[in-house]
Amino acid sequence: MSILTAEQKQIQAEATAFVAKEIIPFAAEFDRTGEFHPYLLDAARESRIFAMAVPKAYGGLEYDALTQAVVLEAWGYGCAGMGTTLAASVLSMDSVLVAGTEAQKRMFFEPMVRGEIGSFGLTEPSAGSDAGNGKSTAVRVGDEYVLNGSKCWITNGSYSTVFVIYALTDPAAGMKGISAFIVEKGTPGFTIGTVDHKLGIRSSNTVELLFKDVHIPAGNLLGKEGEGMKIAMKTLDMARPAIASLSLGLAQRALDECVKHLQRQYPEKAQPGQTLQFKLADMKIEIEAARQLLHHTMNLRDAGLPYSAESAMTKTNAADTAMKVTTQAVQLMGSYGYTSGIAKLMRDAKIMQIYEGTNQIQRLVISRAVLAPARPAVAVQKGGN
Amino acid sequence: MSILLTEEQELIGQSARDFAKEYLEPIAVDMDHTGQYPAAAVRALAEHDFLGLFLQGEYGGAEAGYVSLVEAVENLSRTSAAVASIVVNHSLAAYAIQRWGDPGQKQDCLPALAAGRTLGGFAVFEHGPTPGVGPDALQATRTPEGWALKGTKAYVRNAGVAGLYVVLACTDPAAGAKSLAAFIVGAEASGLAVGPLAETMGLKGCPVADLVFDNVILAETALLGGITDGAAIAAETLALASVAEAAQTVGIGQAAVEHAAAYARTRVQFGRPIATLQAIQTLLAETATDCHLARLGLRAAAQLLDQGEPFQVEAAMVKQFLARTGAKLLIDTVQVEGGFGYSEFMPLPRLFRDIAGTTLLEAPADYPEKTIAARLLA
Repeated sequence: MSILTAEQKQIQAEATAFVAKEIIPFAAEFDRTGEFHPYLLDAARESRIFAMAVPKAYGGLEYDALTQAVVLEAWGYGCAGMGTTLAASVLSMDSVLVAGTEAQKRMFFEPMVRGEIGSFGLTEPSAGSDAGNGKSTAVRVGDEYVLNGSKCWITNGSYSTVFVIYALTDPAAGMKGISAFIVEKGTPGFTIGTVDHKLGIRSSNTVELLFKDVHIPAGNLLGKEGEGMKIAMKTLDMARPAIASLSLGLAQRALDECVKHLQRQYPEKAQPGQTLQFKLADMKIEIEAARQLLHHTMNLRDAGLPYSAESAMTKTNAADTAMKVTTQAVQLMGSYGYTSGIAKLMRDAKIMQIYEGTNQIQRLVISRAVLAPARPAVAVQKGGN
Repeated sequence: MSILLTEEQELIGQSARDFAKEYLEPIAVDMDHTGQYPAAAVRALAEHDFLGLFLQGEYGGAEAGYVSLVEAVENLSRTSAAVASIVVNHSLAAYAIQRWGDPGQKQDCLPALAAGRTLGGFAVFEHGPTPGVGPDALQATRTPEGWALKGTKAYVRNAGVAGLYVVLACTDPAAGAKSLAAFIVGAEASGLAVGPLAETMGLKGCPVADLVFDNVILAETALLGGITDGAAIAAETLALASVAEAAQTVGIGQAAVEHAAAYARTRVQFGRPIATLQAIQTLLAETATDCHLARLGLRAAAQLLDQGEPFQVEAAMVKQFLARTGAKLLIDTVQVEGGFGYSEFMPLPRLFRDIAGTTLLEAPADYPEKTIAARLLA
């Protein structure tokens, strides 16, 4: 276990209690129907959890990164689908935290404090791993931008009231021509397209966003024109550990359910044999190692140190761990695992290796850092002292 | 592809492929959505002799052996592993009766099983870690006329659609799993009830449910093999299940690898098809390798069966190999297709859910390791 402060422990206990009361009892049903239930929003609104990343200056809870990770792990433990709903909303805020002005922060964060949720819109059918290859455009007309195009696989799309949308302001400049905008729900010309039906995290809402001559005030531009990709990359640095947190929650849940099942199956004095015991030990080792890397990464971020490579590593490692541990759990539990809620954990885990940058993209980031020419560890001081 | 196969075996594989295209492709996706038992497809399987492939000619079987069986199962599984599951479970019951039945039992059961007039079901597992342990373990008690069965078998495939079940029950509550005996039980037996269908992750269409025995009275002739043969019948039949399920895993995996390769050729990112990226090539190469090696392993085990040799250790090795690599076939091929691959509008999610059902380590989950080590250390 990590060393958490008394306050962090308190928040962890509250999140665990929230999840036990509001999420775990309903997760299976929402997984079956594939529908996100607005009741969750009411419950979350009361707990103000959607505002956990919002600075206190805007009425938020301003949890540090480690505390957010602890909360997200609890949500992932309860239901990665609903955890995704929360994480995606936090992710949408990150772009505004990175580049927003005072007015933009107020505009974006106030709804969050009221208990509303947001969405982050970067991906397009042609721009998956190749995130800079989007076709959506934003053309400046007077003191407005006119947005055209579409986004796909946007989490919370049907329920969000505020969105951060990436579009080309200078198509000729390619990736350097991408800009980020705040777009509000209900802006004329902005509609929701197809709702996706997914292998897992089925209770989380995943939709297509359609923009047809959507006029947005020029004041909604985040940062400067052409800074979109830079903002998106910083946002993803911040968001990837959230996926690691959900993954950890999933993995821990799978192990706990596996142990519970075995203990139920074996009479009190009998124990499963060493083959099984060691499989459980391996699951535990991988989970704990993944948790430590995550918490270390969060400590770096909270200390204001660079954490971009660690962010990619923790996401990759935790997602792979979740996939491995949930698969192992389903296998070890045999038909019971295959016909119970445990199978959901395995389906949910698969997305962790895909979204917020596939694990292949993370490995690209990490291997670049590994292969970068070595630099002197200590800067050579100029002058005598 | 043809390594280790005779012309007949290859033909059977091909005809299973053709059958799957004609009869299973049109229903596979719907069946996954509705979970509906594919009665018409099972009738067609019977008409095409897939339900009596390895049964002896005198009972109306094709007498084509077990390599042919796994060839058929792999090729059916490429399109619908759920339908293949129905075939596999049916085959387990037929195997047990052909292997341990007396002439009367064989004559009574096998012609109907071979022709597909009767579907078979094989029921060994219970809710406890091993049969005979736990409060609802199935107990067989001697009566003046034969036997009385009381208790529950769990997760029985083909439950409710099979006409007969081969069922393992304990004959001595104190001895538990050591006193297992096998019985042939007709689905119409009085006191036998099928529990509610389980909601499975995949392989939907192959019904899974508990069989509840409330004092089911059986004649003396229902006992399959000797009274002490149950454990051996369970172990050997489960070894066949491991081999046949491995063929399912490989069929699903092969279909997925081919789909992912086709996807990678057409999906353009970074200005070129992702098939040109080594990261993608590696995923495809690793999954294709695991498929190939598993196929060789399972065919070798099936060949031992054809030769009447012991095959349980080899079957356990295949099981163990696929416990590590089987689900990964889909974990990695879905990865190739990224966000698209995760969408249920695409084919791989069904295969992902199906493959997990073919690599399960049934209770006791350490059986492959135990079986292999026992041989090594004997």
